[in-house]
Amino acid sequence: MSFFDIFRGILEGMDVTLTVTFMGLCFAIPFGLVAGILQHFLKGASRASVTMIIEFWRSTPVLVLMFMFYYSLPTVGIYLSATLVAASTLGLHVGAYGSQSVRAALQALDRGQVEAGFALGLRRPAILWTIELPQMVRAMLPTFVNQLIQLVKGTSLVALITMSDMTHRAKEISQLTFDPPAIYSALLLAYFILLYPITIFGRWLERKVGQGSGKLMEDHGRGV
Amino acid sequence: MVSNDVVIAVKGLNKWYADFQALKEIDLDVMKGEQIVICGPSGSGKSTLIRCINRLESFQEGSIRVEGVADQNDLLTLRRTVGMVFQQFNLFPHLTVLRNCTLALTRARGLEKAAAEDVALSLLDRVRIREQALKYPGQLSGGQQQRVAIARALCMSPKAMLFDEPTSSLDPEMIKEVLDVMADLASDGMTMICVTHEMGFARRVADRVIFMDQGRIVEAAKPDIFFEAPRNARTRAFLHQIL
Repeated sequence: MSFFDIFRGILEGMDVTLTVTFMGLCFAIPFGLVAGILQHFLKGASRASVTMIIEFWRSTPVLVLMFMFYYSLPTVGIYLSATLVAASTLGLHVGAYGSQSVRAALQALDRGQVEAGFALGLRRPAILWTIELPQMVRAMLPTFVNQLIQLVKGTSLVALITMSDMTHRAKEISQLTFDPPAIYSALLLAYFILLYPITIFGRWLERKVGQGSGKLMEDHGRGV
Repeated sequence: MVSNDVVIAVKGLNKWYADFQALKEIDLDVMKGEQIVICGPSGSGKSTLIRCINRLESFQEGSIRVEGVADQNDLLTLRRTVGMVFQQFNLFPHLTVLRNCTLALTRARGLEKAAAEDVALSLLDRVRIREQALKYPGQLSGGQQQRVAIARALCMSPKAMLFDEPTSSLDPEMIKEVLDVMADLASDGMTMICVTHEMGFARRVADRVIFMDQGRIVEAAKPDIFFEAPRNARTRAFLHQIL
């Protein structure tokens, strides 16, 4: 099997990798945003419970969570598809990290702006939506791209719960033809080709945001 | 032109931060069209007092009525009735000057975008900064930013304006442009309470100058009396230090 054949075989797993990534984002973004915002605003016991949920997802290995959900839940009669298990565990894990950037970004915002919003007679939700969130998203974009990269890389674990992603394809090919150097170099190359554009995009975004004119976020501001 | 209508009525105001009493038995009536300057050493409670008026600070005792609105639960009406200008401008950096001014009009007043922009542009014109409408706050000088902040507050057509040390974080050469705008407002009859150390401004514009110390109003008088013949020894000591 030529290197090219191997590489092509691995790319057949790309759709699973991408599916898990996109579905994972559907868990990660809402969870990160909501958990971070709640942690910022709540106090006392309700805050503690949000923190507990975040810490559960942050302080446990994703692989173990995947095994737990995929192999243990059926014993109590809950059957989730491998895709759903993979996307939810990876997404919530990454989202838990993201929530901390959300909270930090909110805390870093100048309190005076919130006061100015109050002084203008805006309601608290309107202040959050039009003043805090746009600036928060802007401050978080570089972190967000990092988290996205972590998520894509994390999808390689789904091979272990029977999903035929790129990593799984590589293992299958290695059973057909014993050529670890070629197979795993091809696999690395495949991930690199997928991820490198994202890091480039992230760097571009960081520069754009760093310019400080705020053009980027003004569009958000307008949209709401 | 000072009338007999009371716009802001503060009665028996007491405020504590934990054990520290920041305001003590404050009584103050501000008439329609009256300009009041509050001065005093730092920590004397001047900022706290005006922040209580639009409830950016809560208080434990006493009452504050603004245009008859006393109900503490009707915060939105109260805050839309008084405009506030902050020492640090507190413009929204991610929005253009124009959007800074229209935000509350569209969000709180429910105006259409075009109508809000008309209002905003006319007020930006009034503070002589209309040509900067499409810039972001970060692209403006401190003095320009503060004038935008004034226009932003005026957009809500407030019945009174509160200024919390509006020139204290400005470079000296920019103080005048802000004070000139404030003096214009005053001459148009805007009811104003202004916390400032600009004694020249107080002399020129104020109907009454109030001196606060340790949470109390120590002296309140017309500027000529306040500056020429203050009755209280602490006022005299303060004026001696800053003039």
